[in-house]
Amino acid sequence: MSTITGTLEAYQKQWRINRLGLWLFFISETFLFGGLFVARLYLWGDTRPPLDQKLGITITLILLISSYFMYRADTAIAYGDQKGLMNNLLVTFVLGLIFLIGVVGFEWRGEVRPSDGAFGAVLYGMTGMHAFHVFTGLIFIAIVWLNARKGLYTKERHWGVEACAIYWHFVDMVWAFYYPALYLLGTVPHG
Amino acid sequence: MQTFFSLGLVRGLIGQIVGTALGIALVTLLRAVMGKEPVWSPEPAVSFGALVGVAGFMIGVGAVTDWVKWMKGEETPFHHGPPEGKPAWTRYFGTDYSHKVIGIQYGVTSIVVIIIAGILALIFRTELAQPGIQFLDPHGFNTVMSTHGIAMIAGILLGVAAMMNYLVPLMIGASDMAFPRLNAFAFWINVPGLLLVIASLFTGGWDTGWTAYPPLSTRAPLGMLLVLLGVYVIGLSSILGALNILVTVFTMRAPGMTLFRMPIFVWASVATSIIALTATQLIGLSFIMVVAERVFKMYFFTPILSEGAKELGSPPGNAILFQHLFWFYSHPAVYVFVLPGLGIISELLPVFARKPLFGYKWVAMSSLGIALVGFLVWGHHMFTAGMEEHLRVPMMYSTLLVAVPTGVKFFSWVATLWEGKLTFPTPMLFILGAISVFLIGGLSGPPNGTVSTDLFLHDTYWIVGHFHATMFGGFVFPFFAAIYYWFPKVTGRMYNEKLGKLHFWLMTPGFWLQSLAQMQVGLKGMRRRIADYDPGLGITTGQILITIAGFIIAFSILIMVYNLIVSLRRGEVAAPNPWNSLSPEWQIPSPVPEVSYAQPFVVVDEPYAYGRPGATYIRFAPAGASDHKPTKSPSQEV
Amino acid sequence: MRHILTAAVLVVIVTVIVAFILINANLLPTVASQEGMIIDNLLTLHLLVIAFLFALIVVFMTYSIVVFRRKPGEEGDGKYIHGNTKLEIVWTLLPLATVLYFASLGASSLYEITKPLDNELKIGVVGFQWAWRFDYYGPDGKVAFSSNELYLPKDRPVRLDITSTDVIHSFWVPEFRVKQDAVPGQRHPLRITPTQLGEFKVRCAEICGRGHAVMYATARVLEPSEFQSWYEQQLASSQEEGGDIVAMGAKVAQKYGCIGCHSTDGSPMAGPTWKGLFGKEETLADGRTITVDEEYIRRSILDPGADIVKGFANIMPNTYKDQISDEELEALIAYIKSLK
Repeated sequence: MSTITGTLEAYQKQWRINRLGLWLFFISETFLFGGLFVARLYLWGDTRPPLDQKLGITITLILLISSYFMYRADTAIAYGDQKGLMNNLLVTFVLGLIFLIGVVGFEWRGEVRPSDGAFGAVLYGMTGMHAFHVFTGLIFIAIVWLNARKGLYTKERHWGVEACAIYWHFVDMVWAFYYPALYLLGTVPHG
Repeated sequence: MQTFFSLGLVRGLIGQIVGTALGIALVTLLRAVMGKEPVWSPEPAVSFGALVGVAGFMIGVGAVTDWVKWMKGEETPFHHGPPEGKPAWTRYFGTDYSHKVIGIQYGVTSIVVIIIAGILALIFRTELAQPGIQFLDPHGFNTVMSTHGIAMIAGILLGVAAMMNYLVPLMIGASDMAFPRLNAFAFWINVPGLLLVIASLFTGGWDTGWTAYPPLSTRAPLGMLLVLLGVYVIGLSSILGALNILVTVFTMRAPGMTLFRMPIFVWASVATSIIALTATQLIGLSFIMVVAERVFKMYFFTPILSEGAKELGSPPGNAILFQHLFWFYSHPAVYVFVLPGLGIISELLPVFARKPLFGYKWVAMSSLGIALVGFLVWGHHMFTAGMEEHLRVPMMYSTLLVAVPTGVKFFSWVATLWEGKLTFPTPMLFILGAISVFLIGGLSGPPNGTVSTDLFLHDTYWIVGHFHATMFGGFVFPFFAAIYYWFPKVTGRMYNEKLGKLHFWLMTPGFWLQSLAQMQVGLKGMRRRIADYDPGLGITTGQILITIAGFIIAFSILIMVYNLIVSLRRGEVAAPNPWNSLSPEWQIPSPVPEVSYAQPFVVVDEPYAYGRPGATYIRFAPAGASDHKPTKSPSQEV
Repeated sequence: MRHILTAAVLVVIVTVIVAFILINANLLPTVASQEGMIIDNLLTLHLLVIAFLFALIVVFMTYSIVVFRRKPGEEGDGKYIHGNTKLEIVWTLLPLATVLYFASLGASSLYEITKPLDNELKIGVVGFQWAWRFDYYGPDGKVAFSSNELYLPKDRPVRLDITSTDVIHSFWVPEFRVKQDAVPGQRHPLRITPTQLGEFKVRCAEICGRGHAVMYATARVLEPSEFQSWYEQQLASSQEEGGDIVAMGAKVAQKYGCIGCHSTDGSPMAGPTWKGLFGKEETLADGRTITVDEEYIRRSILDPGADIVKGFANIMPNTYKDQISDEELEALIAYIKSLK
């Protein structure tokens, strides 16, 4: 995500260092998301609030598919394909945006309110924290797309694209755990 | 005047004020537009304002400037050396990417914060010297006592970061940290965080103790909110700093420095950073959940069920959950505080005993052992809390296990001293003082770790005595030892030995007195965090002694500050290696030049081969002969 | 070798001295419960091990400082000793065995302290900002009456079911040793078998806000027969219907824990005494003087921070306005008026 100066060797050494840093960051983030996951198990036990199942599976699929396009974007630049990079980033961005609208615009308009006991707290806590990360991921994609348009990424030098891609996959993976925790585990009580 | 306004710190402060005002205005405006009543709602407005204020500070101080340029696809030069056209001292008051500058920034901030927190302690200790309410009402007492706790923790984290930042790259022969910009960011974000904590004193105070247990913390005044957010921000710094240390150690060691040839302090830093990187997220999370409960009425912890919640059949919130999340960090956190200090002890003992560190690998592994076992012991803070009953016994076993690697450290230290050739300049005195104080802290631990005795000891002054002894022995004493020891390396001048020794001989007996008196009154029934005590317990003498000891310690620290300031200007010029150490940072001139190692070095032997004639740890590679150049390609670091 | 032997002898001597001091220093308050004795025994064992380990480290350290110091004019370094794997294994395994042993002692003593006993007397304990209420159950298993003092029969196992109505508190009587947090929305048991007659103080051990330091209640341990007659008397008076408004007010004062901070006999407590309060002239913290009338008492209950009497701290909760009914308020005022 920066301009190209210095020798290729130096760039790639720094790339390896950056990659380690990013993965350590994910380990750290795993504890954050893990903490909320534990809170869900602790407070909800084998119950869960009534949620729109169709909406849940739809936005989950959309997010998973977006990761596929992100993968294509990363692969494209590894082959030096500028156009492929930009097109796939755009598709990823749109899918991510649809996911975000699905969460904030529809899921958050359901019958559960934030102040509704542990159901509300955990539901909004988990989806809110995840949605915040999706939101930052979208900003990241937008920045990479703009820089890609300036032609700043090449076959050998595209750390920015890789960072953006792994970040997106990570956020996606988190949802792969959160979706079943919110929508599938436990049963809806008849209050 | 122009220089003044060009200082990053000043710009940052302006940024924070503007940001806070903007944030508050924005929320209030939005509420007005959306027709919410009342339009002025302090909790959401202030929490958003505080966060925008922090962002404003970071923009103002210039810690994000390069990143913004990268986002725009612009090139940035790699900053090195003092800012051009400005006096050299200004670089300490603004964003600078050199790990040595950042290390000093951390260190000075740490001492300032510790002094502020210490003054707070003196205030409430004076109140407690006599039974009855003297000059501090109970809410004021709670605010001062709670702020003392959280400020000390922040100060200790800063001190830990200071030692790691300055020393780790020097010890492993790296030209700087792996991510210099992230390093500067991680330092500077502490400042707005600390300002939020201090602002809490003037916005209604708070009364929960540093642990911020809900539901009390969800009902406390506005100051509580600022503390929660401030601590969150400080925690963020801790995470980013730890990440940086880990990457630096794993990727930038000098050739020949295998893992088991690293200086022992580097091992301690790795163990500390593993904890800080991961567990810190959970104190952040638990505090954010309290903020969410206050601002959005999301009842994670308070068993309040709205009408809607009853209709949905929602389970209630649970206050115990907070304690699980909180202690999952906050117990390992004490190892974050003490492991670097214990590393300093292990690092300096061989130098002053003129003997190799006894059982190097065992000491290194014991740090890692403490760090890993430390993840499994949080429940011992909750033995009386109403935690799940079946967790009590396993948590007791894991807690007591920590005694094993800690014991290994003690035995190894004593064995290092045995048959050495000991000298006792100030740093060595503080190291020995650290061992003795940490011993008090360590030995008073197992009774608290055993469930049945803890049912008695929990939340008493015994616990206060216990953890102050571990913090002083594990951090404060070694930190002071490190300050005296590396003072000549950092400044090129020697501190005043007489004043250093005076500092030691006041502080050590003072601390023993304070610690033992705290434990004694605790056993008699003195509870923690009380604004007034029951004279019927027969502890009035003990209370007076604790207060007097507190003042002695404070006075001795004043002596140190005086010593450091005067020696900085007028101290005797130090020899490059006054301690005759084998460590790499002592093989280069003092103060350390801008580029630390003009010639890269190769590690040729174990780190502490004292006692073997002609021993050497590193050898400088002939100029140009090595491909391990300290050059960096610009602008690809984060 | 000579060094090690000397040091070893010194370790033994210092251990004995430190142990003697620790055991005889009268470190603990009197113990007044069965559970407390179990805890004290284990604590004593801990102190003995502490004495030994303290001696071990301090003696070897001090010995090194004295004997292995660099003498004036001495050159050279210490002995080149790297370590000793056998020694490391020994000082890993021995502490390991010790802590495992202590953990097993801890587990078995915890079982002793917490196991359910026959003939347990059940009492409900409710903590709130900043007082305690103790609920006694009738023969039908429902709460029959409440008290602001904890009455306990000697030598009978008691099971306290502890909860809170607002924030976390912690029930602790130092003489009984054990403590248990009071968590809102949850009930946690604590078992005590009092072994000594007398008065003890219940102290809140978990910070709970402004009044934390003075969140006391009295615990009275009585002979079983005395306890029984007290219990029956309370039970009988609770079953009387109605009663006059003053008697009702006295119950309200119990229910909301008022008398945790306000005495009815003139003795000093955290809040002003109610004895002779009505009609009295009071000087307020801000210098004003007022005469205590019904209006003042009402305001002080509903908005306690409004008029703070000089010499007292503003620690009364301002939550009563949401809890107390108009009827109860009137009864309480009548009760306070009756205390001449």
